[in-house]
Amino acid sequence: MTARLVVLMVSVLTAACGAGGTAIPEVSDARIGEPTGPNAALYFTATSNGPSDKLIAAGVDVADSVEIHQSIIFDDGVAGMEQLDELFLPQGASLVLEPGGYHVMLLGVDRLAVGQTVEVTLVWEKVGTMTILAEVVDPAHTMGH
Amino acid sequence: MAGTRQSHIVTRLIAVVAVGVVLVGCGRAVATGDLQGVVIESPQPKPSFTLTDTDGEPYEFYERTEGKLTLLYFGYLNCPDICPVHLAQIGEVFKQIPAVARDTEVVFVSVDPDRDTPEAIRDYLDRFDHRFVGLTGTEKELEEAQIAAGVPPAFTVGEGDGYAVEHAGWVIAYAPDGLNHSIYPFGTRQTQWTNDLQILVSIEGES
Repeated sequence: MTARLVVLMVSVLTAACGAGGTAIPEVSDARIGEPTGPNAALYFTATSNGPSDKLIAAGVDVADSVEIHQSIIFDDGVAGMEQLDELFLPQGASLVLEPGGYHVMLLGVDRLAVGQTVEVTLVWEKVGTMTILAEVVDPAHTMGH
Repeated sequence: MAGTRQSHIVTRLIAVVAVGVVLVGCGRAVATGDLQGVVIESPQPKPSFTLTDTDGEPYEFYERTEGKLTLLYFGYLNCPDICPVHLAQIGEVFKQIPAVARDTEVVFVSVDPDRDTPEAIRDYLDRFDHRFVGLTGTEKELEEAQIAAGVPPAFTVGEGDGYAVEHAGWVIAYAPDGLNHSIYPFGTRQTQWTNDLQILVSIEGES
């Protein structure tokens, strides 16, 4: 009984924190590897503030088009990549986009300078559209140290 | 780069078995205990192959890199996620430690000859370090070079202009003694590169 009460209270708190009653995910660590070729990758961490959701699209002004991708490192070390329709953000958990895993690929990207910030629109299935700022970083620093 | 995924999986399995044999091999001629990459217990000699550099000239890999620490990587320019991380991390060590840069040859082999022109490869590598060597070749030459280096040959996946290339995700390090004492899979950290390149440049041959 006590446990159920705690769950209820957490629900109320979570709802209170959402902007205008919605549950927009919190996005942090948004970064784009400085473009070195025709394409660049955008990474970020999205943390759920409510029910599960799905990232269904993204947009930027600095590239011809945008796709959601997953890099795959096979057991034998071979690297591959595939396009996905959406990324799942579990309830109360985080969705992490990082090198070697999920990323938003910017195809036909403009030349961008390290330190520059880029406005990115993320489209979620439930909460809709949000705008974030991603910083352009040296590719050596996309995955940290 | 045609071929079924099945046949490539077989090639891969053979490569894995070969690596497995290498790993259980015995004997270690030099002190590689402080290396943080994947240490090859029975190091293999540097292969011999000739490809074309970004000036359009033949590049004899074995001869041109003899006596130098040589980092060999097979990748492609449209890859935004894995290839630039390796190259940028090595470039970072070059910036921090000029002695390593002086004694190291970084050789990037494009395995996407249809899209990656020599000019585009040069432009790409210059964004990391203008000393990096870029190579290309015919599909047959590239396949032979990959097999000579002990990596499964890359192949294309998907249709149209936006196809992806599956390729070996690791960098092979040949020390100045001409042996690959270690390899660097994707996920290698900057600090590991910095540590290992300083050790590897000083592994000299006995003769």
